[in-house]
Amino acid sequence: MKPTHQFLAEDTVAGYEHKTIIHGVSLSIPSNKISVIIGANACGKSTLLKTMARLIKPESGKITLDGKPIDKFAPKPLAKVLGLLPQSPIVPEGISVSDLIGRGRFPHQSWLGGWTKKDYEAVAEAMEIMKITELANRNIDELSGGQRQRVWIAMALAQQTDILFLDEPTTFLDITYQVEILDLLTDLNRKHGTTIVMVLHDINLSARYADYIFALREGKLLAEGEPSEVITSELIKDVFGLDSTVISDPVSGSPLIVPIGRHHVVK
Amino acid sequence: MNNLTTNNTIAYIMAGRRQRSRRYWGVTTVLAVISLLLCFLMLYFGNTIYSIDKIARVLGGEQIKGATFAIHTIRLPRMLAGLFAGFAFGVAGHIFQTMLRNPLANPNVLGITTGSSAAAVYCIVILHTSEAVVSVVSVAAGLVTVTLLYLLSRRRAFSIGRLILVGIGLDAMLSSVITYLLQKSASQDVPAAFRWLSGSLNGSKLEELPPLVITVLVLAPIILLLGKHLSLLELGEQSASSLGIHTDRTRIALILCSVCMIAMATATTGPIAFVSFLAGPIARRLVGVGHTNIIPAGLVGVILVLAADLIGQFAFETRFPVGVITGILGAPYLIFLLIRMNRKGDF
Repeated sequence: MKPTHQFLAEDTVAGYEHKTIIHGVSLSIPSNKISVIIGANACGKSTLLKTMARLIKPESGKITLDGKPIDKFAPKPLAKVLGLLPQSPIVPEGISVSDLIGRGRFPHQSWLGGWTKKDYEAVAEAMEIMKITELANRNIDELSGGQRQRVWIAMALAQQTDILFLDEPTTFLDITYQVEILDLLTDLNRKHGTTIVMVLHDINLSARYADYIFALREGKLLAEGEPSEVITSELIKDVFGLDSTVISDPVSGSPLIVPIGRHHVVK
Repeated sequence: MNNLTTNNTIAYIMAGRRQRSRRYWGVTTVLAVISLLLCFLMLYFGNTIYSIDKIARVLGGEQIKGATFAIHTIRLPRMLAGLFAGFAFGVAGHIFQTMLRNPLANPNVLGITTGSSAAAVYCIVILHTSEAVVSVVSVAAGLVTVTLLYLLSRRRAFSIGRLILVGIGLDAMLSSVITYLLQKSASQDVPAAFRWLSGSLNGSKLEELPPLVITVLVLAPIILLLGKHLSLLELGEQSASSLGIHTDRTRIALILCSVCMIAMATATTGPIAFVSFLAGPIARRLVGVGHTNIIPAGLVGVILVLAADLIGQFAFETRFPVGVITGILGAPYLIFLLIRMNRKGDF
């Protein structure tokens, strides 16, 4: 099992050059659990994730991993603990699946040396978890969107970090693949204890797969807690500005949001 | 996890990697052999053809009437200039193309080479400085051009399409500076400055080569050391950064090394058109992706320069400088890429 870590953000303010997007967020990521950040478009979900992964330098506030500010870590040691799968990763044309996944081994490798036994094991294991072993020597250009996404996650898995951030890992995927990816990530969390933090678009899948929810609105943390506690029609109104009824998901027992629009409403 | 299946997976991955690695080394060896062969042909062909035995003896230091002069003063410097400049152009071009993930993003197309040339021509025809000063100034001018290019194309978000358009503009502007300087210059300076317009191995002198040779021998290993970093940069800023590299530092180090190599090569042979542009994509086609392809790109650069020079020297009634031949080869490919990029809507 992966060790526990304390990952904290305190009063974090962050954004891009002239635009502040995150206005003072403080949170503690539950270790060895799956957390999902939800919120409307442009509320700063991705920005928050990127700031916590040190891709964006916060304007103020403190982000610490086990008590040490993340900007005090050298890149490689941090990359051994914390991995991030960006929203739209860039694929080098024509690369093979196993070579690409192998690039996730960088923080564990020396500057020059080739693959060690550990590298092979990590890549093989990552491919097994993602169920893509038979794709190992295929060219990534030939894969479907769902397969590619699994390859990307496998690359992040090969990095063997204790904490894994994923920025919308299911976007652009068919519903079948969305569920499949989320199941695989849950396997990973349950079997290995990997702490997972992800941004998801689908609120109902979030409520089902998350152990813990962070709800953002306009760069501020509006609510947090277990889905069954925080997902209410009031919260959905606050976060998304949407009227809804929250019922119990007949499959999982988690909250299920049924939106109320202007049409198709039984009086 | 079932251990047996894990071992099977490992064996499967290993087999694929071994196959790709065999292809890499196979292709690299063939490229190296062709390069050596071309080096030999550069020494062999000329107004007089000497026997292999004679060439070997001359290279060994023996004085043979006629042969020593032809080989030591003309053919050897020409071959070495082509060898090192070709390698430098090939490697530097490949670094830019890989780092910026676009074959058009290349020192040649972006005006960096032309920036070096313009500064060199200025030194030669206006300031009349020594060769050493010309080298230093042209390296500095290459770096200034890169900085200018970066600043001009930055505006809010970085876009590769804008970078390329700005680069093409810079290139045109700097070319016109060169033409202007040549018009203004005294006629006796023109031949010396002329080779800055189209790269040429004519008149290469042994004593002018050390700066280029040293630059390549020092910087190429550094670039090779950064090979893995380069392959991560290829995955984009965010992935590279979360995999544990200092993206800015790595990029600056790679740009510095590439620009120094290319400017030094340009200072020695002039801008040999399109070599830095063609070498990387050709190497990639031959070797495949997954490897960093730095050495194959360098070797393809060598082959392009030496082969084009041999063609320019001996294939036609008139002798053409090497840059004319590579220009004829490269221009259609440039047009092809521009059309393809336009279709994909990258601009």
